[in-house]
Amino acid sequence: MGGIIESVFQVVTGIILVYFFLINSLYLLFIILSIFGIYQYKNLSAFVNFKEVFQMPLVKPISIIAPAYNEEMGIIESVKSLLALEYPFYEVIVVNDGSTDHTLEKLKKTFGLKKSKRVFRKTIETKPIKGIYISPSDPKLVVVDKVNGKKADAMNAGLNVSRYPLFCGIDSDSILEKNALLKMARPFLEDPEKTVGAGGIVRLSNGCKVKFGQIVEVGLPRNALARFQILEYLRAFLGGRIGLSMLKSILIISGAFGLFRKDIALQCGGYRTATIGEDMDLVVRIRKYLHESKIPFVFRFIPDPICWTEAPETLKGLANQRNRWHRGLIESLLHSKKMIFNPRYGITGLFAMPFYVIFEMLGPLIEVAGYVIFSVYVLLGQFNQTFAVLFFLLAVVLGILLSLLAILLEEYSARRYPRLMDIIIIVAFGLLENIVYRQYLAVIRAMAFLDIAKGKKEWGETKKKGFSWESQKQ
Amino acid sequence: MNISLIIVTYSLVFLLAFSVALFLYLILRRVVIQQQETLFQEKYQKIESEILKLIASPQQGLALEIAQKYKSFPNVLTKVLFDYIEQIKGQATDHLKKIFDYALKEKCLKDIYSRRLIKRLKATHLFVIFSGPSDTPHILKLLNDKPVVKLVAINALSQIPSSRALSYIFQAFENDSVSNARTYMNIMYGLGDKIETHVNEYLKKPLSTEKLALMIELAGTIPLRSLSQDIISFVDHPEKEIRIKVARALGHMRISASLDTLIRLSDDEAWEVGAQAMKSLGKLEDVRAKKVLSKGMFSPFWHVRFNAGHGLANLGEPGLKHLQKVKKQKKDAYASDMANMVLDEVFYSGEA
Repeated sequence: MGGIIESVFQVVTGIILVYFFLINSLYLLFIILSIFGIYQYKNLSAFVNFKEVFQMPLVKPISIIAPAYNEEMGIIESVKSLLALEYPFYEVIVVNDGSTDHTLEKLKKTFGLKKSKRVFRKTIETKPIKGIYISPSDPKLVVVDKVNGKKADAMNAGLNVSRYPLFCGIDSDSILEKNALLKMARPFLEDPEKTVGAGGIVRLSNGCKVKFGQIVEVGLPRNALARFQILEYLRAFLGGRIGLSMLKSILIISGAFGLFRKDIALQCGGYRTATIGEDMDLVVRIRKYLHESKIPFVFRFIPDPICWTEAPETLKGLANQRNRWHRGLIESLLHSKKMIFNPRYGITGLFAMPFYVIFEMLGPLIEVAGYVIFSVYVLLGQFNQTFAVLFFLLAVVLGILLSLLAILLEEYSARRYPRLMDIIIIVAFGLLENIVYRQYLAVIRAMAFLDIAKGKKEWGETKKKGFSWESQKQ
Repeated sequence: MNISLIIVTYSLVFLLAFSVALFLYLILRRVVIQQQETLFQEKYQKIESEILKLIASPQQGLALEIAQKYKSFPNVLTKVLFDYIEQIKGQATDHLKKIFDYALKEKCLKDIYSRRLIKRLKATHLFVIFSGPSDTPHILKLLNDKPVVKLVAINALSQIPSSRALSYIFQAFENDSVSNARTYMNIMYGLGDKIETHVNEYLKKPLSTEKLALMIELAGTIPLRSLSQDIISFVDHPEKEIRIKVARALGHMRISASLDTLIRLSDDEAWEVGAQAMKSLGKLEDVRAKKVLSKGMFSPFWHVRFNAGHGLANLGEPGLKHLQKVKKQKKDAYASDMANMVLDEVFYSGEA
């Protein structure tokens, strides 16, 4: 019996080691591809004058849709930032998704909103809309007040009310750079037929100074959790997503800022309300639809920091957010499971979906399994102490190397952190994250499987301070 | 020592050394860049103050003096010239062009034929701003380069006000792939009515649907009103996209003679064409379009109703009165809602 258990343990250990080798090799590959991607982008856009893009006759108007649920802390700064964007034609649709705080009242008071008699096509079914408000002083702003139906439902309501051929979904607590839309609209100008969606790099605004709805000074937050997340965002966007987009395999365009063709999104039925990861779900379903319809397409990723969002600074907030993200990922992948390893879906079926399933979805389970097996070996006293210590150090060093490469990409592409000390602190947190933080997140993400099994659907509260507070603090 | 232990140990040592080297590189790179930036800034300010002096009180030979003094700092000088050429207009730009000719042109011409794409691209970009008719032969050679360089060259050609240069741009447009067509459109748009003869010529050529659609759109967007009859000749084109562009172009042109054509297009079998025709009819601000626009208010298509409603609002008092009527009628709730919304929007935005 003991022999069987030992054999099982050895097989599982072997699988984990192979997995470890594969995942790290892939991440290294993505980072190498990102270096090429950023080099290419930097060279080609070195002399681009975005004022020229602004004056082009063919730029397509954009509807920005910002769902808001209990966002009274930051909503005004966010909307002001959206209204100050540089783009010839756009509208800002804020969807108040049944907030129980003063989100709507604040909007009404600040922008002098009046009830409108606007009519719209109800292309997608949503929870009832209680009223549409417009601002006589700022015709670009439209506020939709509706019964709570969660983010996907709010996005669909915004899609119904929107009037322009491109739409941009953003989180209402995000801050966009002034020329964000110009940068994001470029792929739609260069290849209007094929480009169906575009995403950009999302950065954390914690520790940054916000003035008049814009980031005026980039800095590191004092909160340790936020510092860990800064490094994670650098790795995820600069390392992961640019690399994946170079392989035409991007499946996630962040809900914090993504630009899509409205006709295609509507043909796919808009956002699916049954999932909690509506942003990824939409991209996966668009890919599925376009592969099935044999329509050539491309999703573009702009390696420029264009959107700033606030990271949770409490353990509970972080746990809720990561658990929700992972549940969303699992739901989206399982919903389109027939694409996995299916050659009919091209690179999406043969590489993107399997990668996300094996390394992103199952990753936390395998990591936690590794910790459990290691603990069991320790308890049984049946492990090679030297090997275990060296292997642990190897994992840590590899993690640090990936973080350093991501920081190198940041230095090369944008260099947004002005002080040398910022870089040293980020590197130090890259070292520290291997103790407790990484393990904690793996467990939280693994718990998402249990929550899915239990049928958990709620978002979970992620308390944020809001930009106004942040600005005063600085 | 077993094999797995050896592998892990060597991997660890290698990765650790690599990580430490990378960390040191990051720090050193940052320090060097910060120093370079400080030096760049200092030099930039010096050149800037001398250029400002030159612009404020031009003196014989001062441009040459600046060029000679800073020839060995081409990057800083290029940056100053780029920044200032965007800000200033008129004769003062000649001084900057002189500095470019004396200090940077030689290097630029060398870089145009460089093996490195980025060098060629940068050099070509410089020509976009500082080129003159005498540089045309160099730019023409770039038309055979990679697409990204070719488009910059085309852009440079568009700065040269000669018929030959325009012919080259249109020929390149005809021969290039459809995916680049919109970039040409943007370049051509910037040329305004100088391209009228060429657009007229190319409207008659057997172009692909996409390129023809762009030509029609270009004629409307500039607008080239003398080509309205040529545009109208495409009214029965079998491709829906072309008919949409015809309706849009006529709307941009705002010629009352196109009223009948737009009325005809408003009844097109494709609702998209009808919706665009309604929008264009509204732009004509001609009361004769009232009947058609009123009919459009009862269309089963939201876009047609929307454009018809705004078209009626554009007609002023008669249109607004009619919208009031549509709003009050009970037969078609969709039309009533749309009229209500348009009136509401006109009220708030003060359009009427």
